[in-house]
Amino acid sequence: MPTYNFKSIQVVPPAKDFIDIVLSKTQRQTPTVVHNGWQITRIRSFYMRKVKHTQTTWHDKLTQILDDFPKVEDIHPFYGDLLNVLYDRDHYKLALGQLNTARNLIDKLAQDYIRLVKYGDSLYRCKELKRAALGRMCTLMKKQDASLKYLEQVRQHMSRLPSIDPAGRSLLLCGYPNVGKSSLMNRLTRADVEVQPYAFTTKALYVGHLDYKYLRWQVLDTPGILDRPLEERNTIEMQSVTALAHLRASVLYLVDVSEQCGYTLAQQAALFHSIKPLFTGKPVIVVANKVDARPLDNLGPEEQALMQGMASEAARASGADPADCLMSMSALSETGIAEVKTAACERLLAHRVEAKVAGKRITDVLNRMHVALPKPRAGAAKPRPPVIPPGVAEARARRDAGEKRRTERDAQEEAGGAGVYSADMRKQYDLKDPAWRYDIMPEIFEGHNIADFVDPDIDAKLAELEREEEELAAAHDAEMAALAEGVEELGSDEEADLAAIRKKKKELVTAHRIRKAAAGNRPVMPAKHGSRGDKTVGRMRESLGALGIDTSAAEARLRSESRGRKRARSAARGGEGGDSEMADADGGAAGGAPAKKRVHSSKSRSMSRGRALSTAPPTPSSGLKDAAQRNKAVKMADRGQRLRNKAARAGEGDRVIQTKMPKHLFSGKRGMGKTDRR
Amino acid sequence: MATRCQFENNNDVGVFAKLTNAYCLIALGGAENFYSVFEAELADHIPVVKTSVAGTRLVGRLTVGNRNGLLLPNTTSDQELQHIRNSLPDEVVVQRIDERLSALGNCIATNDYVALIHPDIDKETEEIVADVLGVEVFRQTVAGNVLVGSYSSFSNQGGLVHPKTSIEDLDELSSLLQVPLVAGTVNRGSDVVGAGLVVNDWTAFCGMDTTATELSVIESVFKLRDAQPSAIVNDMRASLIDSMV
Repeated sequence: MPTYNFKSIQVVPPAKDFIDIVLSKTQRQTPTVVHNGWQITRIRSFYMRKVKHTQTTWHDKLTQILDDFPKVEDIHPFYGDLLNVLYDRDHYKLALGQLNTARNLIDKLAQDYIRLVKYGDSLYRCKELKRAALGRMCTLMKKQDASLKYLEQVRQHMSRLPSIDPAGRSLLLCGYPNVGKSSLMNRLTRADVEVQPYAFTTKALYVGHLDYKYLRWQVLDTPGILDRPLEERNTIEMQSVTALAHLRASVLYLVDVSEQCGYTLAQQAALFHSIKPLFTGKPVIVVANKVDARPLDNLGPEEQALMQGMASEAARASGADPADCLMSMSALSETGIAEVKTAACERLLAHRVEAKVAGKRITDVLNRMHVALPKPRAGAAKPRPPVIPPGVAEARARRDAGEKRRTERDAQEEAGGAGVYSADMRKQYDLKDPAWRYDIMPEIFEGHNIADFVDPDIDAKLAELEREEEELAAAHDAEMAALAEGVEELGSDEEADLAAIRKKKKELVTAHRIRKAAAGNRPVMPAKHGSRGDKTVGRMRESLGALGIDTSAAEARLRSESRGRKRARSAARGGEGGDSEMADADGGAAGGAPAKKRVHSSKSRSMSRGRALSTAPPTPSSGLKDAAQRNKAVKMADRGQRLRNKAARAGEGDRVIQTKMPKHLFSGKRGMGKTDRR
Repeated sequence: MATRCQFENNNDVGVFAKLTNAYCLIALGGAENFYSVFEAELADHIPVVKTSVAGTRLVGRLTVGNRNGLLLPNTTSDQELQHIRNSLPDEVVVQRIDERLSALGNCIATNDYVALIHPDIDKETEEIVADVLGVEVFRQTVAGNVLVGSYSSFSNQGGLVHPKTSIEDLDELSSLLQVPLVAGTVNRGSDVVGAGLVVNDWTAFCGMDTTATELSVIESVFKLRDAQPSAIVNDMRASLIDSMV
């Protein structure tokens, strides 16, 4: 069963906003950068994408609107007519129809322009075509401004309509203005409808709910209606008529017998007779209201006749007894309200049940209307009484009287709430002696008593183990002490050597510290990379010789290694023109020059293999005459850098970030980086 | 009297509670709220015991019992068995049984005099049910469902069964059980009445979703608060038809 709730319709923006929404969406969701140098196919697809995207957005948005608004033909006729009364069906359909047309036009237009862009021969032309396409779409929508505004108003009004279930059980209050419909509504339900002593206080339908016989009933308060032809009725009255015409509800026709509302009984009866075609097939009750001001007995014979006339008409319309169709009540003194409610509900219920019993679906639930009562059988001869403890009735009476038992929940709340409170599981153990409750019970795990696996002598055994451990430790200590005793003293020369070694170490550390302090906290060049002057073979021979070490073997090895490696490498490379690596780095100008004429550019050193480029003559724009000059320049650059490199200071070749976030690049930009990218 | 309640936002109270005329088992929860609903109603008359069964909270679905006894599945741990034994009066026999269909509450439905059991349950279990619970035992289905415990709920005074049970089946079951039966729902149309409802001879508990019509059917058929099953066909007929069709 569909539920009628129009709150979920999305907002319909006015044409201007709508255009902004769609265009900015296109701008945000399609690429924005295009270049003249691109291939023309790429430029074309760039602009086609823009046109297509705009068209899709329009299409989606319009489809959303068209789907959201209910179709007058598809919804319940009550709501269909209510829409007609409130918003004028033609206007409503026209507005939706125009949006539908606009949608189709936009689709067609986009198709045409995409076709044109396909033949665009330059960026400019493609761009102009795109501009034209988007512009025409927007112009089209601008013309729909009136429809969009109207639909937005309708949407706002619809979302405030009461949620009435047209198929539900409802009581409908109707009558002349000021006869007390809203007062009765307030008495029956908790709807709290406005009640004022002037006509047409209620200008729309209101719904309230009440419970009767385990069911939920809706009560509809309608605006008052005047006795005039249908064509002359205004929108407010027409809402009542719509509800009367389409809802299969129990109708309560309220009559003000005191005539305080400003209409005579005769007028009210005339209205009843003029709208009685709307009552056919529905339970109708004529309710004489305000009997506190003028009891029914006080009516004159003519007025009595009028009331009886209405009652008999009501009985004819609903097929009931005329005596049941006339009731009296007073909303002010609250007399007769319960009777009116019961009668109205009962009659509608009977009416609905009659219709449902005649239908087919009743067969599915017939079994649930059946109480199967047991037939006596052989095995169950003995009576089977219920087992109810004796105190149940008294306990219930006590509780109904307001006595509250203190429950675990109260204890929990007092002890800090759920999660903090830990309930006592043994509190209500049913044992022979209550003192046993908190006895320690054997703990069973997987069928075994854990106590069976506990060693009673465990403490003694542990003490024994610890004692043993201590003994072992003591024995170990003694052994170590004995070993230490066996170490012999140093001889006098050995002591002198040791002192010399320590002195030397100290000197080195001091020298290093002095150098470091002199450098003023700048990194000190390690000795490995420092000047090679102090690392001569002679010095090695001298210093090691002083220690009595023969250095001849080391010298021989150094020489043989340095020379041998060189020879081996050149031999392996075929040896033409010395080192091929050097030849590459020297470039063409070096020609057949010896290998030691190498050019030390940082570039050539870091490369394992020479680059073909460096052999090429310098480009004319570089300001260098030939490769020789270029090499000289490289050398000079290297020399200029040398001091700086030695001191390990940062030079202009080092990577440096002057300012982390330059102000001019970051101010006024969005956090997401959108503006920046655009 | 029927009470609406919830176990930790779950409406299937029959899963988390087992109610008989002699005792009531409640699942261990995070808070005492569910327990206290039962405690307030029952603790003056019968023990209301918090326990787990086989380490789970599905107390109502795993166990079956009545005034005379309580049967537990073989997965019940020794501690749980001991806790239950200590908490229940000595007249109630507590027994752990080896049955392949270990969700006893789903497979067996019983009151103090008669039980319905799943057609595939062991012969031995059937005998144990008859001996320990002191009941007549019938192998039956409810509206074609073998899980008789899930789809029916009955006390010594009346019973509620699966809403699709035919009138003939209702009459047959009623003769077997010797109590008045009605086909109905709980928890706004749920057909697992065994899971949605726990009942004994003087009180009932059902899920928070249960509608007013469902509740009044329950009160009438179980004769709670002096209601009579005949009310369903007489006073409530119109309301039932209008709410169901």
